[in-house]
Amino acid sequence: MPAPAAPNSDDQLSLFSPPPSSPKQPIIYPLHHSLSSPVSRIAISWSRGNTLRLSLLPQPSSNGGIEVNDGDDSSGGSVVEVKLSAGNGGIDDDAQWRRIVYGSVAPFAMFQSRKNSAFSFSKLPVGALSNVDWWEYVMEYSKEINSLLGTTKSMASSIVDDPRRILMVDEEPTSLKAAWELLEIFYADKQSQAWLPERLVDWLADYDSLFSETQFTVYSKLVDLQQRLLNMQTIEDDQKYWDCLSSALALGWLDIVVKLLRLHGSYQLDQLSRRETENGLVEAVVVLVSKMPRLRPELQAGRLGECYKNKTDFIKGWETWRARVTKLECSGYWVQCGHQKTREGLRKILQIMLGNTEHLSATTCHWVELYIAHFIYIRPFTVGFESLYSQAQKCIQLKPVSHPHSLMGLMVGILGENTEVVLAECSRAFGPWMVTHAIELLTAGNDQSEILLHEVRQNLGGVSIEELHRLVYAQVLASNQLTWQIAPVYLTSCRPGMGMLEILLYRQPVHLKQGLLKNLEICRLYELDTVSSNIMKIAGVHHWKHGRKGSGIFWLQQAQDEIRLNKIAQQLFDFVGKSVSEESFKQWEGLIELLGSDTRTAGGLEFLHKYRDFKRSLQQVVDGKATDAARQAVESLILLMKNPSTPQQFWLPLLHDSLKLLTWREGPLLDVAQTNLLLNKLQELSMARMRPDYVEADLPTQALSTVRLALATNLGRAILEEQ
Amino acid sequence: MAVNQFQTQQHQNLQIHRLPQSKFIDAVRWLPPFAAFDKFIVLSLFDPTSSSSTIELHSLDFPDSANPNPILSPLSTFSSPSLSRTSFLKTSQSLIAFSTFSGSLDFLSPNYSSPDEVSLDSLPSLQEKGFHVGPISCIDVLERDCVSVGEDGRVNLVGFGDGKASYRRVFDSDGLVSYSAVKWASPMEFATGGLGCSLQWWDQRRKPGEPALQFKGKWSQKTASGVVHSIDIHPSRKHTCMAGGSSGTVFGWDLRWPQQPIVLSGVGIGERPSNPISESEVWEVQFDCHLQSSNITSMSSSMMPVMMCSEEGILAVLEPGAEPFELLEEPCAINSFDINKQNYSDVICSLEWESLAILSRS
Repeated sequence: MPAPAAPNSDDQLSLFSPPPSSPKQPIIYPLHHSLSSPVSRIAISWSRGNTLRLSLLPQPSSNGGIEVNDGDDSSGGSVVEVKLSAGNGGIDDDAQWRRIVYGSVAPFAMFQSRKNSAFSFSKLPVGALSNVDWWEYVMEYSKEINSLLGTTKSMASSIVDDPRRILMVDEEPTSLKAAWELLEIFYADKQSQAWLPERLVDWLADYDSLFSETQFTVYSKLVDLQQRLLNMQTIEDDQKYWDCLSSALALGWLDIVVKLLRLHGSYQLDQLSRRETENGLVEAVVVLVSKMPRLRPELQAGRLGECYKNKTDFIKGWETWRARVTKLECSGYWVQCGHQKTREGLRKILQIMLGNTEHLSATTCHWVELYIAHFIYIRPFTVGFESLYSQAQKCIQLKPVSHPHSLMGLMVGILGENTEVVLAECSRAFGPWMVTHAIELLTAGNDQSEILLHEVRQNLGGVSIEELHRLVYAQVLASNQLTWQIAPVYLTSCRPGMGMLEILLYRQPVHLKQGLLKNLEICRLYELDTVSSNIMKIAGVHHWKHGRKGSGIFWLQQAQDEIRLNKIAQQLFDFVGKSVSEESFKQWEGLIELLGSDTRTAGGLEFLHKYRDFKRSLQQVVDGKATDAARQAVESLILLMKNPSTPQQFWLPLLHDSLKLLTWREGPLLDVAQTNLLLNKLQELSMARMRPDYVEADLPTQALSTVRLALATNLGRAILEEQ
Repeated sequence: MAVNQFQTQQHQNLQIHRLPQSKFIDAVRWLPPFAAFDKFIVLSLFDPTSSSSTIELHSLDFPDSANPNPILSPLSTFSSPSLSRTSFLKTSQSLIAFSTFSGSLDFLSPNYSSPDEVSLDSLPSLQEKGFHVGPISCIDVLERDCVSVGEDGRVNLVGFGDGKASYRRVFDSDGLVSYSAVKWASPMEFATGGLGCSLQWWDQRRKPGEPALQFKGKWSQKTASGVVHSIDIHPSRKHTCMAGGSSGTVFGWDLRWPQQPIVLSGVGIGERPSNPISESEVWEVQFDCHLQSSNITSMSSSMMPVMMCSEEGILAVLEPGAEPFELLEEPCAINSFDINKQNYSDVICSLEWESLAILSRS
């Protein structure tokens, strides 16, 4: 696929990619390559995974003739691989991705089998199974996947030792984990649906830092303040301090608020006497903040607020608390407070606690923050998706964003109950792994999305959306040499997956033992006997061609491929005819052992086994052993000559080797019938010599007549003996 | 390499630690220590992004009993741009030998100055054309003597003299037989294994240049189709070989009764054990001397306990007449393991999914 190039400098090339948000302004990525001359043509093709391979070709030189590559780059062109890393969700390290990929296999397979058994028990669609067990399975799956994405730690946890340290980052949070937790909150964790607002508060506390990439956030404000705190004396004179206080409060980060308030100058011992009223007001606010009622079963140790498990208690608590806030707000002490900034700041805090919309809007930075603030101070008992969504719409109108973060898009999709949008956002921002595993949550209890995702679509080639995404993910897995063996788990959970699995297995290299056996093991697990035997045939032919005759025969024997065994037997016999002498037989010993005596799988090769036995007993005869050995040798000879699989080219050498037996001094070893059999064979051989394709054995010219004479002599002696 | 994540499980007397790596582990071995309390491991790693192999030496520390997570700290690394993937790795006191899929045999010599400072010196390697054709499937090292076998059917002895490695061809089957496993029994004897569950005994004094003894077991069709992947010979009972191979087969071969295999595990053998522990490839077997002292009475029995790992992700100890004892069950294959010969309670395994497992038994 040649495409016009847009070179803008000697060794740089631009890659245009229209971002979905602003289609008119392409983003330009510079691309480095080693060509020194201008690029005239580019061929683009897909490489492994989501990598593009660009073949850059320079202008052909004008002198026309065939150019010899003299080591100069300019004549050859260059191939560059471009990784389209849109879907990494903040995880840049390939190894880390593979760890997630490996870890998710077991939970996925476990969940599939539970789903299948639940389905077969109830004969109902999975969505209709709303029992407690089912949701436990869903949560277990979600938790296991979540645990792979990093350890959960709150960024806003406080340290006792250092009162001036307000933010603690234990681990860099990733968008991938944030997105998964968001899905978990809405789709999997049905047990805590009643505490949804509080779960969202926690979620934002953990991941607000992620939004800082694209916009200003409360988190980034606090990071700034953290820097200033270290070298500031009278903190309460700084407007930023008060801004941060109200912002943190708006998002419900109570511990940070209390910690910051305790840094207020009026707490210092030398000031305490002069600023008694001021300090009293600050402390009153601290008490109110730390007593704020929260509708949730429990709080992490060290977190502030008062928990209420059920709604009626919470409403009671909330009203009492609000009354206390109002009381403080109307208190006469404000007039006595001498410090203007403290007075204003504290009253703003009280306004936020009273749910003043303007203040909430002013103190939050983007719509998600505003949305969360609404949950905390204006509508703490919100339930039902409809109101959730309209509320979110209002917040977006109040705080529009030009470049929305992927998590924002995901959130809008979830709140709007728009499965397609959720999938599209997952796919765009986090790639096929996320989509494949997230679909399990989306369909867990939602009939509509289940129908949408499970419906077989003709325009997708007769698969459902769910299966399509699994196939895409399997493709990504199959493109990596370390993860290809995981692909079968996902392929086999799709209708056309078996066929694709066969293709995948056929594509794997067979020349290394480990790889071949892994391949065969997968065949065994999925009962693909035909594939397995075909792969063994491929391996057998490969080994045979590369001179590893033993391995070649072994694998063809495993595949019970008699046609090929017979074919290579011919080649092997030619080789034997030349190389088998008494001393080199030890080379063959191992192969003959391997062939065993099982004629069924050995093809024409069983001849070798008998040939070896014959040679061995003949050897003993030559060594001068007793007549018994000679009799045994004759038996072997007759067996060999009777057997149809003994190649014709061996008849004469066999007989010639046995001359000593035919002319045995102590008396004829062969009876009349046996001698006649051998004479017939000899006759057949003389006829065959007329044919053009006859291969002359490497024997003296008079060999045939010598053998005939010996046989005739033996026949005469045998007749005499029998009379 | 930083250790990012730990998973620690506690069985009754077994601690399992999983240490994820960011590269594929081709092979892992303990390196015999230089001082009493050192623990060193040698890893052969393959990086798929750069398609390069490295040999790394790490020290393994268990910081304290309260925090049992082991720490793997890299001491030295060896890599060379021409290095192909490792097919087999073996260590002795003074030598780290590793064979490659391209048919070369490389040697490193550990140079000890302190527990935190061990360097790897590269010794001359063997990569001549006549040495092996194609991959070397297995090697074994006894002090500074090395034996190598390959799919090409060659058996070579490698020794060091005049500062360079030289080899002597013991046997060349000209491709008619392929070997997949080898193990020294004594400086003059070794055993090999290959296709069709075959075993050969070689004795350089009695019968140089050909196998002194061939194992001819009467296998059923299914087992005869197997490949021997690993052989072990107990240092104090040289007449018994233990072999592991396809279809979960683990069997002993007593040279005194060469026709009669002692089957510990496997399918499709006349009188088969009630419940085969594995039906897939057994990648490695090693005699397990861990229970030797406590279980002295059963020592008189014909076969000692054997540890095996399999493609199905099972690490277990087998003993004739006893139920198999499973140490580890992984969702992915266990490609190799090694028992620490200085401290039999320590076992290290390489898992298919780029991870190491360290087991401490007590």
